[in-house]
Amino acid sequence: MDEGASSSRRRLLAGAGGVAISALAGCSEAFWSRAENTGPEQVELTIKTVPADDDPFAAKILSQLRESCEAAGIDVTHVPSAKADLYREILLERDYDVFVARHPGLDEYDALYGLLHSQFVTERGWQNPFQFSDPTVDELLEAQRADGGDRQESITELVDFLEDTAPYSAIAFPHLVGGARTDVNAPSPPQQPLEYLDLLCREPDDGPRDEPLVVGVAGEDLANRLNPIAVDRNRVYGLLGLLYDPLVRRDRDTGEYIPWLAESVTWTDEDRLQATITLREGVTWHDGTDLTTDDVDFTVRFLGDTALGSVDGSIPAPRFRSRQTLVSEVQTIDSRTVTITFGDTVGDSAAKPTRDAAVRSLTIPLLPEHVWEPRSEVIAERQTEALVTDNEEPIGSGLFRLDEVTADGVELEPFDEHVFREFPLDRPDALEGFSQYDGLRFRIDPNVGAMVDALENGDIDVTASNVPPERVESIRDGEETTVISSTTDSFYLLGYNLERAPLVNHRFRQILSRLVDREYVVSEFFDGFAEPAMSPRSLLGLADDEHDDGVRSSIAEFPGTDGEVDDERVRTLFEEASYQYEDGTLLD
Amino acid sequence: MSLLAVVFELAFVVATMLVTATLVVVGPRRLAAAMRGYRRRLQVCALPLATLVVVLALRWSTVDVFTRLERRVLGTNITPLLFEIEETLLPQNPVVVLQSFQSPELTSFFVFTYIYGYAFLLLFPFIAYFALEEMDDLRTLLLAFTVNYGVGLICYVFFIAYGPRNVDPTIFQGLLYDAFPQSRMLTNEVNQNTNVFPSLHTSLSMTVFFLAWLTREKYPIWTGVAGVLAISVVVSTMYLGIHWFSDVVAGTLLALGSVYVGRHYTARGLLDSTRRYLDARLERLKRAGGFG
Repeated sequence: MDEGASSSRRRLLAGAGGVAISALAGCSEAFWSRAENTGPEQVELTIKTVPADDDPFAAKILSQLRESCEAAGIDVTHVPSAKADLYREILLERDYDVFVARHPGLDEYDALYGLLHSQFVTERGWQNPFQFSDPTVDELLEAQRADGGDRQESITELVDFLEDTAPYSAIAFPHLVGGARTDVNAPSPPQQPLEYLDLLCREPDDGPRDEPLVVGVAGEDLANRLNPIAVDRNRVYGLLGLLYDPLVRRDRDTGEYIPWLAESVTWTDEDRLQATITLREGVTWHDGTDLTTDDVDFTVRFLGDTALGSVDGSIPAPRFRSRQTLVSEVQTIDSRTVTITFGDTVGDSAAKPTRDAAVRSLTIPLLPEHVWEPRSEVIAERQTEALVTDNEEPIGSGLFRLDEVTADGVELEPFDEHVFREFPLDRPDALEGFSQYDGLRFRIDPNVGAMVDALENGDIDVTASNVPPERVESIRDGEETTVISSTTDSFYLLGYNLERAPLVNHRFRQILSRLVDREYVVSEFFDGFAEPAMSPRSLLGLADDEHDDGVRSSIAEFPGTDGEVDDERVRTLFEEASYQYEDGTLLD
Repeated sequence: MSLLAVVFELAFVVATMLVTATLVVVGPRRLAAAMRGYRRRLQVCALPLATLVVVLALRWSTVDVFTRLERRVLGTNITPLLFEIEETLLPQNPVVVLQSFQSPELTSFFVFTYIYGYAFLLLFPFIAYFALEEMDDLRTLLLAFTVNYGVGLICYVFFIAYGPRNVDPTIFQGLLYDAFPQSRMLTNEVNQNTNVFPSLHTSLSMTVFFLAWLTREKYPIWTGVAGVLAISVVVSTMYLGIHWFSDVVAGTLLALGSVYVGRHYTARGLLDSTRRYLDARLERLKRAGGFG
């Protein structure tokens, strides 16, 4: 190396350093403070939802939220992601600031347990996707589940507390609107398995048919993943519920539980809450294998750990966990009899759950051990085969068996060996007159417009996907078609990622919750076919009870009119929460 | 209406347009002469034709793999970027401006252009250039199309982009699928709704138009027809809420690039230089690594 050049370079560097240091030394305090502190920057939010192709309502809600946020000086990035991708991003990877999505619905207060208990922060699916953790909430969630205390009081306290913390905010409960050919006498668009079965029990005007009932659905990639425990997929609601039977089914209309594969459920309630269940005689899986109490035991263990003990810790399923955690022990007595002991496997294991909560665990669809046990194989880090399989040939025990999936439809054939088909006398009342059709076919159209045209042409009997207001008129005008609708448990919500600034601040979340004009959304976007979430209970996605009806929560009040936010008012709200503005931008 | 019915209708309408245009623009005599010498003509074009077929086949057969690669591994969602660029740079979004002129007649016209007009525009040059004495123009066309599809395919793997109608239905309307929902069966077969950047409708239409301009002395009528039709297709992509203005700009640039490549290179030349390059690399590897 050339010595001279090197030393001269060193001298040069030293000189430059000296100049720089003396320059800094003589510098004003203002310079130092600017160099040391990064200073506040504009609040930025990445908000995700599905594209309008998948759900125009979600896209419109986000559009309004985006405009309100921009008026409030927030920099919003509006990201559309196809349904399966969105679910992967928000429910599996937790990669979002805020999302707008449709939650399938909370069937019981205890469903909040899975959604908000801190025990689920590290889990996936609709199991605490907000990463919410609060000791008070954990305590209340455990208290409402436990026997002995005043459940209603715990729930009221929980609702009050969550109104302040706002881990997510429901926007509206959409009605399901659809159309049917008048001759099939459909009371409502089917969604839950029992609603499908009810429809199949109703005699068409021209008598029983020896062809399948054709149900129209619209959307993309609806049937290419048939994995009942996966969440990152688009799906036909009710389809897998028809293929996979549970021990008992819940009737949404009456709130009652109907023994299904269980012939009887006997409860004993001494120091532990237990249920002794006898399976119906002769129940089998679609592939002919006997369904035994071992499968019941397996399902509970498998949902808790899809790796079945082959890794340190566990790899729980992203679905059904809040129900599964109510079961502390499954004891098989013989192939048809099993005793389930209930507990709270995440909270206080000695706690005795209330029966209202415990019975939910019996509604978990049963999985065949001989099919799913091999899928416990770990194929990647924290990933088992069970979580990624498409389950192309679902083997369940339901009244229908999968016949064929094509690009434009799903064909279900009657499962003749099902006990309710072989022994009609054993059927529950809900299956009176089952079945007026030979099988069930889902016709998949790429969008709602094509689905409605197919209904009007007589290619489908009834629609199951939601029909937006602008398409309702033509169904109503049709001579042979009629508009049908029903309420559902599902709701649109804003989900907040509580690990990200500024969403860690509950004051910020409370204001964000107000930035969607719920009443305007319901009247303009849904054309009245929805209920706005205005009360503290409904803001959590729960149905209003008699005390709550008509109560308006302050975090549902929109600071503006007709969907248009009042700049001044929204800025005042943020300022009151001690946020500051500079040149109209909200600073963090 | 099923997919088959939609395809059938498309085939019927486009075939009618092709026959009419062939009779008027090419003329029966020229066509008959070309048919007599079809063997020589095809031989000359065999290589570029095979290249195009391979690229198209690749695109069709690997759609599942590519979609998965795009959505889960390589793709970046640039939708918000497109939306914001246009909101910042332009006083008003061109899609909004175009849709403000909305009328049922205009919608019908653009739906027709987007589906039938586009298919016709893409297919007719094959007939027209096949009927010429020299096959240079047909070879240029084949190579330019190949470049369009090839570059489009690469962009689609790296960019996840949804069109305006999918992002915000309160601002942009999805006029195509409102007016003609069944056409979705057809467009689904061809492309996904995440692949809007760049607009291949724009790039292929503009490619045809630029080539028509270059061959204006041979087919003066066609130049006018292609110009009107290509511009209509471009406008229709935005009017119908399918593409952003940015997609159209990128599509036009891609068309310019493809035509340049088509004119200045040949399929054989490109394949040869690729082979030479690979040979040289392999040779160097052999020498360096000492295997073989």
